[in-house]
Amino acid sequence: MNSLVFLVSRSLKNSFLELLRKPAKLILWLFVIAMVVGFFILSLYTRQSAEIHNIIWLKGIAFLMALFLVIIAVQKGLSSGDAIFDMSDVNLLFVSPVNPRLILLYGIVRMAKMAFWAGFFILFQSNSLSNGFGVGYGGVLLLLLGFFLAFSLMQVLSLLIYVLTNGRPKRKNAVKLIAVAAFLPVIAYTGVTFAAVRSLLPALEAVLRSPVSTWAPVAGWASEGIVSLIIGNTGRGLLFFGLIILAAALIMLYIALSNPDYYEDVLVATETAFEKKRSASEGQLNPEASSKRKIHVSKTGIGGAGASAIFYKHLRESFRANRLGLWGLPSVFTVLGAAVMSLFLRGEGDGGGLLILLQILMWMQIFFIGTGRGLKELYMHYIYLIPESSFRKIVWSNLELALKILVESAVLFSVAGGILGASVPLILLSIALFTLFSFLLLGINYLSLRWTQADLSAGLLIIIYLIAVIVIMLPGLIPAIVVGSMLGDAGIYVGFGILSAWELLAALGCFALSRGILHRCDMPVYKGGRQR
Amino acid sequence: MIDVRNMTKKYGKLTANDNLSLAVGGGELAVLLGPNGAGKSTLIKSVCGLLRFEGSITIGGYENHSTEAKRLLGYIPEFPVLYPMLTVYEHLEFIARAYRLEAWEDRAEDLLRRFELDDKKTKLGKELSKGMQQKVSVCCALLPCPRAVVFDEPLVGLDPHGIRELKILMSKLREEGCALLVSTHIIESMEDNWDVTYIMMKGKIVRVCRREELHEGQSLEDVYFDITEGHAPEEYPHE
Repeated sequence: MNSLVFLVSRSLKNSFLELLRKPAKLILWLFVIAMVVGFFILSLYTRQSAEIHNIIWLKGIAFLMALFLVIIAVQKGLSSGDAIFDMSDVNLLFVSPVNPRLILLYGIVRMAKMAFWAGFFILFQSNSLSNGFGVGYGGVLLLLLGFFLAFSLMQVLSLLIYVLTNGRPKRKNAVKLIAVAAFLPVIAYTGVTFAAVRSLLPALEAVLRSPVSTWAPVAGWASEGIVSLIIGNTGRGLLFFGLIILAAALIMLYIALSNPDYYEDVLVATETAFEKKRSASEGQLNPEASSKRKIHVSKTGIGGAGASAIFYKHLRESFRANRLGLWGLPSVFTVLGAAVMSLFLRGEGDGGGLLILLQILMWMQIFFIGTGRGLKELYMHYIYLIPESSFRKIVWSNLELALKILVESAVLFSVAGGILGASVPLILLSIALFTLFSFLLLGINYLSLRWTQADLSAGLLIIIYLIAVIVIMLPGLIPAIVVGSMLGDAGIYVGFGILSAWELLAALGCFALSRGILHRCDMPVYKGGRQR
Repeated sequence: MIDVRNMTKKYGKLTANDNLSLAVGGGELAVLLGPNGAGKSTLIKSVCGLLRFEGSITIGGYENHSTEAKRLLGYIPEFPVLYPMLTVYEHLEFIARAYRLEAWEDRAEDLLRRFELDDKKTKLGKELSKGMQQKVSVCCALLPCPRAVVFDEPLVGLDPHGIRELKILMSKLREEGCALLVSTHIIESMEDNWDVTYIMMKGKIVRVCRREELHEGQSLEDVYFDITEGHAPEEYPHE
């Protein structure tokens, strides 16, 4: 049997057998499948709201998603390229007498698998897409297909950029210029349209309907292809999807034919990805560790004494990693995103817009809370060895995140509340609700670790965490909804108040119950690997 | 100083450490030897309070999770993990502040000089090579003047100068009455200094060997291969 076919088929078979041997992984898979099926069934029975949004806004969302992929691909291409191989491929395949072009094909097959998983989250959006845009499950699959194609193209594009620009600064600058120039017409057209229309939403709509955005590389092709197929314009949809496939095929052909000795070009990306994984399993979860950005060290020194030194260390790390300190670009994007969304939510009535915004942000926060430095400390040995009480260490190690969230939510809800015309007390309650929810999530994270004693796979730990969030929130949510709906206009204030109070109480309870976590559970290892 | 009694560590059904007992006194260097997967790192991490276990581990008479025990203990992990956004000197400053050390600066300077890091004080953790990171890791562990130091494969990644300095430092610590527990695969690196060796296989201590028990001309390596390749582990009663 051909060695590459053997490698692919045996890897698939072994992955399946591993599922049977690891019940936790199997449960995770069943959970994911159940969620996808559940969302599908839910979308069948979801009553579409009377006012569904115009499908052009779905094109806008798809455009932004694909644009994000383009930015990432260019960035990766200019640094190390995208990793389409594993280190085991480098060590075993690259030195074997197998045709390099066949090996490249094998890499592309592996890459397609990654692209599918990267877009998997779209399947969970079927309910909101059905509710918001009247898109059925078929539409969701088309959205996934568009994302899959754009993601695949971007992976080969980043590889091409790396091949062409590696060690050539002039070419790197040229790629940057081309990347900006490709989207300059869209930016210019948006500016001109806005100047003419003088209103943001109509201007954006006009841009999305124009050929300028439709023909914008990748982002325009993918979004137009998706929307055309959803509305039944099959020919136009296939044309744009075909354009993506053709571009990807041409790039692959160029790499394979012009540069059969491409091993060196993919080596850096593969080694970088491998090193990242290895460092993570050894406890290095800080993204700054693998960043190639040059850091200028000006101010030095750390304040505090005992457990508080952890907080001051976090401040030093954050302000050194980022000029905005605790509030980096993600914070800016979150505030901007919330502001744009508020524009769409202006017709939702008193408090309704803020309520929808809160729901979305709270869902996002469930997953983003783990990006704080406090939780990452648990993967390194220092916090365990500092001779201070476990509780003090946990509190001080999360203070930086608490400060970040408090300021971020104050800015975010003030801006969004201002756009939505919400009252000051309601904005203040929203800030309290969101900040206390984040506080509760931290508590639940520690409680999950404490309760499971970190002796579980990462996947199962996430499921337990999600279930814990739902179960712990319910006793607050039910009275908030019941009492809130009974009180008319004042209901939303009382509902927010009840939920905030519950979050505070539950968070304190979670932290109290997870006391001594640094003594009573194993130092966790990233990716669910176990220590030996 | 380091006292492990009837310690068992299980990962699900797998018993990584099976009813282990060992003791390392002040001024004593104990070496942990064993093939890959013998359970050495699990034992080391349990001693340092990074893992849960059954049984008892004390440092200087204090339960190993207590604040008092942590004040006495230094740990050099197998894989050095530094904070990428802190400079070399800030790592030491962080440890000094977290441990509430006083007049630590001279000792920090001395450690940095020993490991040729004195000209790299303003380098960030992410800018250092693996070997350099290991040296910073050693400096961090030794800054609080611990009375018991646990080393997990300390020489891996170090350059010849670093290896020499660490060996000198280990001898000095031993002379000063510090208890040292060292897990290593590089047996000859410990030949000069060791006092007692625990040879582990399949989660058990299969042989305890004190230096004075060696025959004329017999090396630690001979003992190790005699145990791990010459006999089946079942022939030895575990500790």
